[in-house]
Amino acid sequence: MRSASRWVALAVGVALVLAFPLVSPNAYILSAAVVILHYAVLSTSWNVVGGFTGYISLGHAAYFGLGAYGTALLITRAGVPSFLALGLAGLVVAVLAVPIGIAALRVRGASFVIVSIALVLILLLVFQSWREVTGGSDGLVVPRPFPELLRPQHHLVFFYLFAALLALVLLAWWTIDRSRFGMGLKAIREDEDKAQALGVPTFAYKLAAFVLSATFTALGGGMYALWFGDLDPVFQFSILIGSYMVLMALLGGVRHLFGPVLGALVVGVALEFFKQQYGDTQFHLVATGLLLGVVVLFMPDGVIPAVRGLLARRGPQQSSIREVSAAELQKERVP
Amino acid sequence: MKVSTLLRFGGAAMAAALTLTACGGAQPGASGGGAPTDPITIGVSLPLTGDFSEPGKGVQRGYEAWAKAVNDKGGLLGRQVELKILDDQSNADRVVSDYESLIEQDQVDLVFGPFSTRLVVPSARVAKEYGMLFVEPAGAAAQVFEQGFDNLFYAAPAIADDHYNHLAETIIAMPPDQRPKTAAYAAMDDPFAQGTAYGLKKKLEAAGIQTVVDEVYPPNTTDFGGIAAKIRDSGAEIMVGGTQYQDAVNLIVALQQLNYQPKLAAFTTAPTNPEFPAAIGSKTEGILSPTGWTAEAKFPSNVEFVKLYTAQFGSAPSEDEANAYTTGEVVAAAVTAVGCAAQGDCQQKLIGWLRTNTVDTVVGPLSWDAQGRPQSAHLIQQYVDGKIKIVLPAESKEAEFTFPKAAW
Amino acid sequence: MTGTLLFQSLVLGVLLGGLYALLAAGLTLYFGVMRVVMIAHSAFLVLAAYLAWDFNQRTGLDPLVSLVVTVPLFFLAGVGMQRLLIARLRPATVTMMSVLLTFAVALTIEGLLGFVYSGTQRRIQLPYSGASIDFFGARIAVVKLIAFGLAALALLGLFLVLTRTRFGQALRATIQHPQAAQLLGIDTNRIAGFGFGLGLATAAIGGTALALDSTIFPSLHWHWIGPLMAIIVVGGLGSVPGAAIAAMLLGIMQSLLQLPMGTTWAQTVFYLALFATLMIRPQGFFGGRLAQRF
Repeated sequence: MRSASRWVALAVGVALVLAFPLVSPNAYILSAAVVILHYAVLSTSWNVVGGFTGYISLGHAAYFGLGAYGTALLITRAGVPSFLALGLAGLVVAVLAVPIGIAALRVRGASFVIVSIALVLILLLVFQSWREVTGGSDGLVVPRPFPELLRPQHHLVFFYLFAALLALVLLAWWTIDRSRFGMGLKAIREDEDKAQALGVPTFAYKLAAFVLSATFTALGGGMYALWFGDLDPVFQFSILIGSYMVLMALLGGVRHLFGPVLGALVVGVALEFFKQQYGDTQFHLVATGLLLGVVVLFMPDGVIPAVRGLLARRGPQQSSIREVSAAELQKERVP
Repeated sequence: MKVSTLLRFGGAAMAAALTLTACGGAQPGASGGGAPTDPITIGVSLPLTGDFSEPGKGVQRGYEAWAKAVNDKGGLLGRQVELKILDDQSNADRVVSDYESLIEQDQVDLVFGPFSTRLVVPSARVAKEYGMLFVEPAGAAAQVFEQGFDNLFYAAPAIADDHYNHLAETIIAMPPDQRPKTAAYAAMDDPFAQGTAYGLKKKLEAAGIQTVVDEVYPPNTTDFGGIAAKIRDSGAEIMVGGTQYQDAVNLIVALQQLNYQPKLAAFTTAPTNPEFPAAIGSKTEGILSPTGWTAEAKFPSNVEFVKLYTAQFGSAPSEDEANAYTTGEVVAAAVTAVGCAAQGDCQQKLIGWLRTNTVDTVVGPLSWDAQGRPQSAHLIQQYVDGKIKIVLPAESKEAEFTFPKAAW
Repeated sequence: MTGTLLFQSLVLGVLLGGLYALLAAGLTLYFGVMRVVMIAHSAFLVLAAYLAWDFNQRTGLDPLVSLVVTVPLFFLAGVGMQRLLIARLRPATVTMMSVLLTFAVALTIEGLLGFVYSGTQRRIQLPYSGASIDFFGARIAVVKLIAFGLAALALLGLFLVLTRTRFGQALRATIQHPQAAQLLGIDTNRIAGFGFGLGLATAAIGGTALALDSTIFPSLHWHWIGPLMAIIVVGGLGSVPGAAIAAMLLGIMQSLLQLPMGTTWAQTVFYLALFATLMIRPQGFFGGRLAQRF
């Protein structure tokens, strides 16, 4: 019965997403929904490495930008058909992510974060300066994959394309979560030394998760390029996009399949709200900063566990076996 | 158990979002009815925060000054005009979603362009795809006009590459023994700033003036020591800066720190800013700059604009304000001539009218080619005795063109 | 390219390297005492620069005078930040979570600066802004020289505090082995707070030095944090002398590389050095064994 209710809930969720364009009053709302789906794709992709291994990358905008530019360059310079270019760009980023991953993952924690940020900054410089190839700061115009469509229809098509990509990334996360590979990654998150001692090939596992995450992010970026049509290094390689991915995933909860999606929904709607309410100030930065600070300090596991914790206290008690992180255990032991 | 709770939670959130957006979508549209007494709503997205916020706010003041001037005279077609301005945070994603929301959600009757070339191209595409007329005050770079936009008009005298045309002609016309032989160029990596410097570079190179330094620096560069050292070392006789504002100030100070003394120094945009002399410690003598607009111009609407603007904001307008005001004038002329202001077929009539007509504005009469390039020229100004004066072309000059310039 | 130009660039590189050295020393100090990558370091730098600018605008006095206020203020802010924010994080995840927390602080500072001072670029106009002196054929701007002098003095001060005082010894003990330091009776929490304060105080000095000869705007801190983080990895995380040496070397390299490569590409030297370091010697070139584990 439990599994039945799970399937019903899933079906309702899918139906709601699929039906959204039918109830969306105008093309603007639809385009805002596309943006939120695109955030959901990015933060779920981020969560493949961030959630399982606990390695927090602030620079996933690098793969987003590479995917977007890769797709655009393959179309404009090499004449590759749009969606083939998207796939190829994903592949290229996967290959590029291997040496980057090796450099970034050789050392733990701090250096990983530093490399992730540095990567965004260096790519911004390269894509701005390498004018002959990337178009420099003039930007790059990506031809529409369906030039005959009117703008509202264009949004409609890409709404479903992003939804399909999101489903793919979610499926990948779900599969990893239940696999031996996923167990190994979680072991790394809880205690990397012990995991290694127990025979988990930590480096290979980390690298595999990293490459997978980068590839999905790149696919999200490529899809975005096809949808949006105008690329500019300043906007594609932006630290802020990377930080949104982290914020969304953390806010929703990195240990949960739908955590990043929920985070994307909340942050996406909140960003629109701040734009409408405090549009002419820098308030959105302060709001993002404060929200991130609150999440990190008070609910580092996201709102889903926080809310469930509240519910659990009222409802029936949990069974004695539960998933607890090393950090939580440590906290419980030390009063 | 774990997953199903989540799913329910996610589903509830989705549903909540659905209802939210559905409710949000229900109320607007009322403003775009188009009844004869309703105001004409005009949608604008501007960079009020972020990298372009300073000129963005200037453009905002210009639009507001225009709206006030129009409304004080009884409005357009007997209807008041109402601006709806959104902030795009200097961000291309935002500017597109802003125009999308203005056109679709708010059902505005007309749109005006944003600031900066980077934002003009994406937003012009949105406008084109909804069939809207798109007159813009700031996208001057050549590439803007090469995207196949049939709805776009640039509301200033000339595109970026032609800003220095009068200066180029004057230099090339000099007698061979006086004519400078070497030139140094430093341009911000920005389509507009680079366009101005490289437009001049192309013409001077064709005339045999050798390029000895050609530097491009990223926007937000703060340390100009290295570039200045290179320019000084080259001993170039002419210094041309494709600049915005603060980069020009920094570059000039860095050049002065190295005691580099060119015979001619030209910088885009910055020298026309009222704060410029104070920012470089009043060592402005002889600095050149192109401008599309001047407060002194005697075009009838300009005299009125300067007077009204000064009364409204307490200080004289600058070029950004003037370009925004020009945008308003251009759209207003089309609306008055065609007799409509609404989405739909009306927009094509407005576009068709502007294609074939000339509009009198604060920067003089403007007309456009098929891609929306204006067909006039920029004036060249120079600091003479601490004041910025028009020196070129000869028929508009307020002071003599000084070459070589005095030491700074 | 002439010899004069080469020499001029070298001089500019040394002047720039001095400022990098001071700022990187602060950044690596936080890492040493707390295992914290302090993303907000350069946001505080820009904040100090704004305070110096604001001070100059309001009083007309030399911005250097503002140091009297900003240095103690930033020291206290550092202690407060360590006590109230960083210390709350779970020890097991402190490195990762502190990155996010300080990132959040950086965003908040940037947003507030934009809120209060708007996004307009600012620059202090001093009577001696354009002045320069001759140095064996190279011109040195007076403001750059003052900024360098300030950075060098602060760095020397920091060095003396670390090596010659009991507090410095306790701090270094905390960096080297926190548990052992605790056993010796050192209140490592207190020391960590002071270390944090010391780091922020260097940001105050650096910010004022920066404001003398540079334009400031709220998002400027992103342009500093990248090179600074690269420097502390190359120098070895947690090693103050390593950071200073790496800063000086990379600053000079950046300045010299500008000649053949141009401004934009020259900036990539920091990131190339970063990647090379991680590939060849992940613990950094001048650092101890500390960096290896992090």
